[in-house]
Amino acid sequence: MHFAVCICQVPDTASVIGFVDGVIDRSRVNEVINPYDEYALEEALRQKELFGGSTVTVFCAGPPSAAEVLRKALAMGADRAFLVTAEPVDPWQTAHLLCRAILAVYSSHLPDLLFCGKHSTDFQSGQVPSMLAELLGIASFSGVISIEASGEGITLEREIEGGVESAFLPYPALISAEKGLNIPRKTSIKGVMEGRKKPLETLAISIEEPPFVILSGIEPLSRKKTCCFLQDETDLVELLGYKLALLQSSRKKRQ
Amino acid sequence: MKKFLVFLEQREGVVKKASIDAWNRVQELAALSGGASLSGLLAGPADTASLEELMQGDGAIYHANHDALALYTQDGYARIVLEMMTKEGYSALFFADTALARDLAPVLSVRLQASLLSGRPELSLEGKVARCRRPVYSASAEASFTPGRPIAVTILSSGQPVASIPGGRISFMPFPLSGPPDNDLHRLVRRIEMRSGVADIAEARIVVAGGRGVGSKEGFALLEEVAELLGGAVGASRAAVDLGWRPHADQIGQTGKTVAPSLYIACGISGAIQHLAGIGSAGTVVAINSDPHAPIFDVADYGIVGEVHQVLSRLSGAIRDFLKKK
Ligand SMILES: Cc1cc2nc3c(=O)[nH]c(=O)nc-3n(C[C@H](O)[C@H](O)[C@H](O)COP(=O)(O)OP(=O)(O)OC[C@H]3O[C@@H](n4cnc5c(N)ncnc54)[C@H](O)[C@@H]3O)c2cc1C
Ligand SMILES: Nc1ncnc2c1ncn2[C@@H]1O[C@H](COP(=O)(O)O)[C@@H](O)[C@H]1O
Repeated sequence: MHFAVCICQVPDTASVIGFVDGVIDRSRVNEVINPYDEYALEEALRQKELFGGSTVTVFCAGPPSAAEVLRKALAMGADRAFLVTAEPVDPWQTAHLLCRAILAVYSSHLPDLLFCGKHSTDFQSGQVPSMLAELLGIASFSGVISIEASGEGITLEREIEGGVESAFLPYPALISAEKGLNIPRKTSIKGVMEGRKKPLETLAISIEEPPFVILSGIEPLSRKKTCCFLQDETDLVELLGYKLALLQSSRKKRQ
Repeated sequence: MKKFLVFLEQREGVVKKASIDAWNRVQELAALSGGASLSGLLAGPADTASLEELMQGDGAIYHANHDALALYTQDGYARIVLEMMTKEGYSALFFADTALARDLAPVLSVRLQASLLSGRPELSLEGKVARCRRPVYSASAEASFTPGRPIAVTILSSGQPVASIPGGRISFMPFPLSGPPDNDLHRLVRRIEMRSGVADIAEARIVVAGGRGVGSKEGFALLEEVAELLGGAVGASRAAVDLGWRPHADQIGQTGKTVAPSLYIACGISGAIQHLAGIGSAGTVVAINSDPHAPIFDVADYGIVGEVHQVLSRLSGAIRDFLKKK
């Protein structure tokens, strides 16, 4: 079986995010692998362990510095990596670049399973995975929390509002990983050493499609509020109940 | 006049409240700009009796009342939306922010060659989706996106309820399927299993959330009690989820759900930026924490410094008294 994983680089949310001239101040942020992509990669590595003779290939479209997250993926256990050096401005362009990169590497023999993260934690668009699947002409399933692979396909589960939905997809298919799918492994020193020896190739693919959406502005958000400290709960209840009319008995509402 | 289509989602034959809210919010937007005519598309068998009362403004609901559409399938649903969009020449398609919309909308964006936006849309005077704002970078910033294509598909972030809109003539029309609906070879949804009796935090008007400060799985019983009294739902921080006290479905924040209740009560939650990423659109925020310097108080409207269990048990008493008086 062949598995491919698409990973991207995002600013570490723990770093202070500042903005200069309407764009994020990259000099102050620490770039990390998108947390959801770690679940995606971990799952690919687990599937590889289950099916002998499998390979895991990772793809990333980004600036040369994104090679760092690919090295991390190789250290975690991926077999080879491809960096598509381009700077797409929207999910549509990203999906196209990844589609072309995957076709260039696999030609018509698509990998059995492609893994993505549910969304990237920078812009949280969550659009690349299903767009990519659609461009490749394969089925996709987003927000996966459990996978059971068999010879013919995979049985998947995802959370929906108030429940769980399950489905079966034949190969080849693309899934996007949700938190809870697994607990990603830590990289070992040995893994890092081995990762350095694994192939990391660069693919030059140019962006041909105009973007579908344009980022037209970005402003820091201040969420600071002045907190009014209350002495006790009765004050709170009176306030919420009378002044804000937020309280209503659940029993009354159902009638 | 522009023509908009709002997708109405049903699960187990019940039209989702989130979809009805989305309809009402699009009506409000349309009324504020040059005006647009709205239609709805409801896929699958569903009870439509109460819709007339809940849905504001005027519009026609096309109901694809077919058993094969009872369960969501990406390809099956994409096809009927595509057919409706192209047949009737809609310029914009709206979804409520749900798991289904996030799965389906990118596929439609490709098939319709339409811009996919999410968040809070703004319409131009000509009634076009001019831009859409949403929080980015863990809600430390807000970005606005403009569509580059003539057609826009928008996933509306959950938000506060709208003012009432005049009109209210909702008509229902069957939407006949042109092809066999059940040839979704790509993908078969086998089943859905709903957890019964639990309110979903993404749709709740009031959310009572607990963090590490709640102390144990059992400690959440008090939160359940307060939520039940208020007709709300219980949420959790990642720490509480990772400790196994709550299921992941309850997690609020960057790697969990985004909620937009009118009232959010944070109990024993410190207020980490990744948690706050999920409550950016909440109305009134109340924090209960034993540490007067906890960062959660910086983003709260009201705060009570105290031990969470003591505060909550007195709070549930006070709510009971209040509701009795009322
Ligand atoms: C990539 C990434 C993604 C993340 N995503 C999320 C996410 O989606 N959601 C999320 O919530 N977090 C997320 N986190 C984790 C986040 O950084 C915090 O670690 C987490 O929110 C802390 O949870 P907490 O507030 O419950 O616990 P703590 O930070 O430990 O806070 C506990 C609070 O309870 C108070 N307390 C203790 N005892 C009592 C008591 N008896 N009575 C009253 N108060 C008490 C304390 O004063 C403290 O303020 C993420 C982190 C990373 C790195
Ligand atoms: N530049 C990129 N390179 C490789 N994969 C990407 C890139 N951008 C997004 N992805 C994949 O698509 C997922 C969702 O991203 P997004 O649609 O941007 O929220 C990510 O978790 C990755 O798996």
